[in-house]
Amino acid sequence: METLVQTDQARPVFGNGLKANKLKATKFGGKLVSEYWESVFRAKEEGKKVVWYNGTYIPPFFHSHDLVWVHGEAWSAMLAARHKEIGAQGRSDQRGYDRELCSYARTHIGQMLIELDKVKSGHHAMAADDPRVETMLKLPAPDMIVNAYPYCSSGQQWDDITYRTFGKKIPMFTIQIPLLWGGRPDAGYMQGEEWEERSRYVAEQLFALTKFLEENTGRKYDYDRLGETMSFVKKAAELRLEAMDMCTVHPSPASFFDWIVSIAPVNFLPGDQNLVTYFEGVKAEIAERVKTGEGAVPKERHRLFFDGMMNWNKVGWLADKFAQVDACVVAGRYTHMSFWQEPQLIDLKDPILGMAQNYLICPNNHGAPIMIGEIEKVCDKFDIDGVVCHASRTCRGMTNAQFQIAGSAKKYGRQAMFFEGDVADESFYKDELLNVRLEAMVEAMDAKKRAA
Amino acid sequence: MRWQTDMNRPANGLKQGGINRNWRSGVGKLTDIDKIISSLAAVAEDPLGYARAWKDRTQGKVIGILPMNFPAELVRAAGALPLLIQEDDAAITYGRSLLFEFYCGYTRSLVDQAATGKFGGLDGLFLVDHCVALLGAVDAIRFELPDLPVYLAQYPASMDEPATPPMVRERLGGLWRKLEQVCETTITPEALRAAIAASNANRAMLRRIHDMRRAGQIALSGRQMQALVKSAMVMDAAEHGKALTALVALLEGQQAEPSNRVRLHLSGHFCHAPKPELLDMIESCGVTIVDDDLFTGTRFVATDIPEDGDPAEALARWYFDRNDNVPCSTRAQKSADWESYLAASIRRNGADGVIVLVAKFCEPHMLYYPELRKMFHANGIPHLLIETEHEGLPLEMVKTRVEALIEGIRQSGRTRETA
Repeated sequence: METLVQTDQARPVFGNGLKANKLKATKFGGKLVSEYWESVFRAKEEGKKVVWYNGTYIPPFFHSHDLVWVHGEAWSAMLAARHKEIGAQGRSDQRGYDRELCSYARTHIGQMLIELDKVKSGHHAMAADDPRVETMLKLPAPDMIVNAYPYCSSGQQWDDITYRTFGKKIPMFTIQIPLLWGGRPDAGYMQGEEWEERSRYVAEQLFALTKFLEENTGRKYDYDRLGETMSFVKKAAELRLEAMDMCTVHPSPASFFDWIVSIAPVNFLPGDQNLVTYFEGVKAEIAERVKTGEGAVPKERHRLFFDGMMNWNKVGWLADKFAQVDACVVAGRYTHMSFWQEPQLIDLKDPILGMAQNYLICPNNHGAPIMIGEIEKVCDKFDIDGVVCHASRTCRGMTNAQFQIAGSAKKYGRQAMFFEGDVADESFYKDELLNVRLEAMVEAMDAKKRAA
Repeated sequence: MRWQTDMNRPANGLKQGGINRNWRSGVGKLTDIDKIISSLAAVAEDPLGYARAWKDRTQGKVIGILPMNFPAELVRAAGALPLLIQEDDAAITYGRSLLFEFYCGYTRSLVDQAATGKFGGLDGLFLVDHCVALLGAVDAIRFELPDLPVYLAQYPASMDEPATPPMVRERLGGLWRKLEQVCETTITPEALRAAIAASNANRAMLRRIHDMRRAGQIALSGRQMQALVKSAMVMDAAEHGKALTALVALLEGQQAEPSNRVRLHLSGHFCHAPKPELLDMIESCGVTIVDDDLFTGTRFVATDIPEDGDPAEALARWYFDRNDNVPCSTRAQKSADWESYLAASIRRNGADGVIVLVAKFCEPHMLYYPELRKMFHANGIPHLLIETEHEGLPLEMVKTRVEALIEGIRQSGRTRETA
């Protein structure tokens, strides 16, 4: 077993002490994310209407109608990634929300309550040294609420609470994205009667969404503009998948954590040329690394699959953690099985059906038998040695079926392990348990390779 | 029988047992009433055993159904026994390797029952609700019991959207066809009408008993009331109806008597029943439970299915009626407020306070509880939140909290003598 050495740095050295070799091109994404939130903060000054939404990647509908959108999950993830979530979570605790409740919801609702406190108290001033000042002062109140949550029942209820907290005065529209249960004999990934029926069902609701937006803005919806927006999204999605495919080589030029920081562009950033530019940059850097044999982990010996939601407080921390035992997390369910994963379905002349289908195939929106089959395909493709399941404490949507996922991994000769953490509540993360389990997993994979 | 043992055993050293000490009628009636309730309680205690016996007796199919909105009448119309799967008392062992410890006790118990061979008598497992934890449990069961037909007819949980009613009808159609397939029969509208009428009749009798409790006319304990509803969830409707008919006739003869016990409303606890020991403990603090909105309580019996018109359409209508009638935070409906319903209930039943029972890790309840709390504060309603767990509760510690609530109510002079 490796020994932990405490250094003068805050972070204890683990394993070989090396750091992950992150892609440089993703820095552009950080700039885009900052600009996006700045545009959100300016929305009211610029007279723009604001939509709060949760769930799947529907911003192209808003972008094409010149609206500003706030994704509740992205907001919570952003606060957690910047370690500024505590104030919002504290406010939701105060209101009576249990800490076992979805930490995305708790953080977002807590922020909402902070904003309402300011309105009610008639002043917006906070102490200059309040850590919340930088990001929390500016979240604009919604003019509309849209819910489009696949799979997780709590997502819908979260927005119901938002609706109630604003006194039931904000127009709200809910898109139901039914689970692809996969119970019929012809069921499979993107096939069968259920797939066809559900695709049409969601597409009809997306069309109704455009009517809702028209009613609440007084402006006609421009479907040509939607096609134009989707042309950028589709191109970006294709580039992303091409770049991911290049990571089948050993060593992998990019890791799961590079794809994690690349989620914002395909999840909620505006659908424009910047998305394409971003993924062109990522793909070019990966191509260069493939040419030179440069890996995302300096000494890649093992290749892992990450199952579960990201622990947003610990993105860099975890990237380094795995690199320190020479393990490259090459792929993941969250990154490699979602976010415009099937761009070929999108017909730019009439994109709504293809968009509906991409929303439906969010990986946890499949019944476990089909979902796990797809996970195994990804593991085979990227030559995965082991599966790491992040048991995110308050996200049951992503922890469902993890025991079956681990069981399937073992069945196909892969190691599997779990570690405890959460999406946005750092207090659930258990570093030392991850250390010992990861070391044990690496030892087992080493032994297996030696035996072979 | 195990239940009778529990009835006679002081719960955790407390004096309150299953039979209310303040019973006000003759010994003969006490015996008859107790006999009926004890027989229903025995079924409630061992629903899978009851189902096995029913199957042996009738050679019929047993369909496991999951809470909270499943239309059991469709199963009955197929000639099968709908068995609303209950939380099992057994410690969760093998289930721990199927579902994480941060899932509610009900879902963990479900997978444990599946993994420990207790679902052997089921011919299918059906559900319409899509609580995220329940979906996790059912997927685990699909892997654990690959030969058991498991069917989800997912009802949309957003009640206001135009797309919802057609989808509910479509899902009911799928459910109908799948049940016919699993039960190897044809479900006729006539059979469905008869099943609806039988269920409505039983619900009406259970509501009558709840009304009598609310009015103070009868003094059945929380444990006894739970047994009546729990048995309704698992028993053959005709058999349960027969027992209820006899029971209601006996209870109608009861007379209200003045009481200075604190009157409480129990709220919450979706999907499965709170442990009877908890109810015993609450009552042992000088409390009469006068009303509730528990799933294993008023919520289950409150709403009838329309008996006129197309019975399939009536089943769809029932889904919406239920949430209009007793709003539930597992649904999103702009026009329905659980807190308003609760406030009105408390005005109607004259409760002195509320105990909210939340099953640990129940996300829809955790999300909505602050809305309830806001209403309690706005209306000056004394209340206490108790979180329950499968593994049991430190009853003596919880008891001090209940006693503090009761003391506060008494000191505030809020209690009302009832007659």
